[in-house]
Amino acid sequence: MTAPRPYALLAELSYRCPLHCPYCSNPTQIRDDQELTTEEWRRVMREAAGLGVLQIGFSGGEPLVRRDLAEIVHDAREAKLYTNLITSGVGLDETRAYELRDAGLDSVQLSFQAADVDLADEIAGTRAHLRKLDAAAAVRAAGISLSLNFVIHRRNIDRLPQMIDLAETLDAKRVELANVQFYGWAFLNRAALFPTREQVAHAHEVATAAKERLAGAIDIFYVLPDYYERQPKPCLNGWGQRYLTVNPIGDVLPCPTASSAIPGLHFENVRGQSLDWIWRESESFNRFRGTEWMPEPCRSCPQKEIDFAGCRCQAALLTGDAANTDPVCTLSPNRALVDTVLRDLNLSPVAPPDWAPRMNPA
Amino acid sequence: MPSQITDDAQPRLARGVRFQIDPPTGQGVLLFPEGILELNETAQEILTRCDGRTLGEILSALAEEYETDLPTLAADVRETLADLERRKLVEFA
Repeated sequence: MTAPRPYALLAELSYRCPLHCPYCSNPTQIRDDQELTTEEWRRVMREAAGLGVLQIGFSGGEPLVRRDLAEIVHDAREAKLYTNLITSGVGLDETRAYELRDAGLDSVQLSFQAADVDLADEIAGTRAHLRKLDAAAAVRAAGISLSLNFVIHRRNIDRLPQMIDLAETLDAKRVELANVQFYGWAFLNRAALFPTREQVAHAHEVATAAKERLAGAIDIFYVLPDYYERQPKPCLNGWGQRYLTVNPIGDVLPCPTASSAIPGLHFENVRGQSLDWIWRESESFNRFRGTEWMPEPCRSCPQKEIDFAGCRCQAALLTGDAANTDPVCTLSPNRALVDTVLRDLNLSPVAPPDWAPRMNPA
Repeated sequence: MPSQITDDAQPRLARGVRFQIDPPTGQGVLLFPEGILELNETAQEILTRCDGRTLGEILSALAEEYETDLPTLAADVRETLADLERRKLVEFA
């Protein structure tokens, strides 16, 4: 099969993070291996550019825990990649912001847990909110483009207006209000995080109204919680089509959550293979590429080039087989699995259980 | 009728937007957070000249280079810039 051209690389620089968000999509079990070195990242980024990649997102964990971040950003710019830092903001003071700008950093996506300090810090499991406000100021002082990201769930979904106000106050250009997707720690904490149907409907109205009101000033992206949908999301625009992820230890993943969601699939490592070979030839990237692998009802479905059978990780987590249709689809023979989750969570008279905070690798 | 971009406006890329030539295709692209826009020839020719020059100066330069009549060219360029402004990729000083 001819491999398409990838456009974006997600570089997960470290799984370490000062925050402990219960919805973190990082793997719940991490091999305690050596993180890639500065030189290894330089090689990976050059190889990615050679494949056609134009954008790189530095993520984690918290990428700022890497002391060589500015050097890595500089190397990315040398490779002509557009650089975006996806960060909690903890550790991003003015000195660091200027250092990153001088290295060529193009934009920063800053995460917030809520707009209220107490709720935000409770979700993060640490006092981080005020430091994030300082980080936003540092990013603006350095003249770097700023976007905000809020992960939305049962505990903060009723506070959307406050989040939108915060985005306005911080002069963000773009804000993502992303309902939690259930992978990694979020899958583990699903019952605690799941918003009710009423919450979701109301939040949708709030986001739509804000989008209209702020058109021209802030771009608002509201990401729906997909269990409440009837058709699956076009995950990644198709497996191995446009995106690739390299995790902190050098495993190359078609999707950042694939390593924990699909344990049966073997992922190659940049220490053993070239990125080019992994993207074009490896079993992991070709396993769900295109439409040939699809089962029914996808195979004969007119939507198959639109939703690409949905999300492989979700199919694996909910049905036990990544090669099944995403059970969010109402045509899936496994849709009952999703409906059961929705029914139980919406009927349950008891308060949701506590969540387990994300733990750092050893 | 939308307001017309004046000749003394200086178009420039918005913060966080980068213009470059895509090595595999030789085509101009705009890169911005979470997005890539492949540029048509008009947009590429304009953006190559967004270096502090005014719209009027950019129009003269393009008219000279392509030996096109100015009114047609100006309409085309204004439309392209207005579109890029709507997408918040270009702003005017």
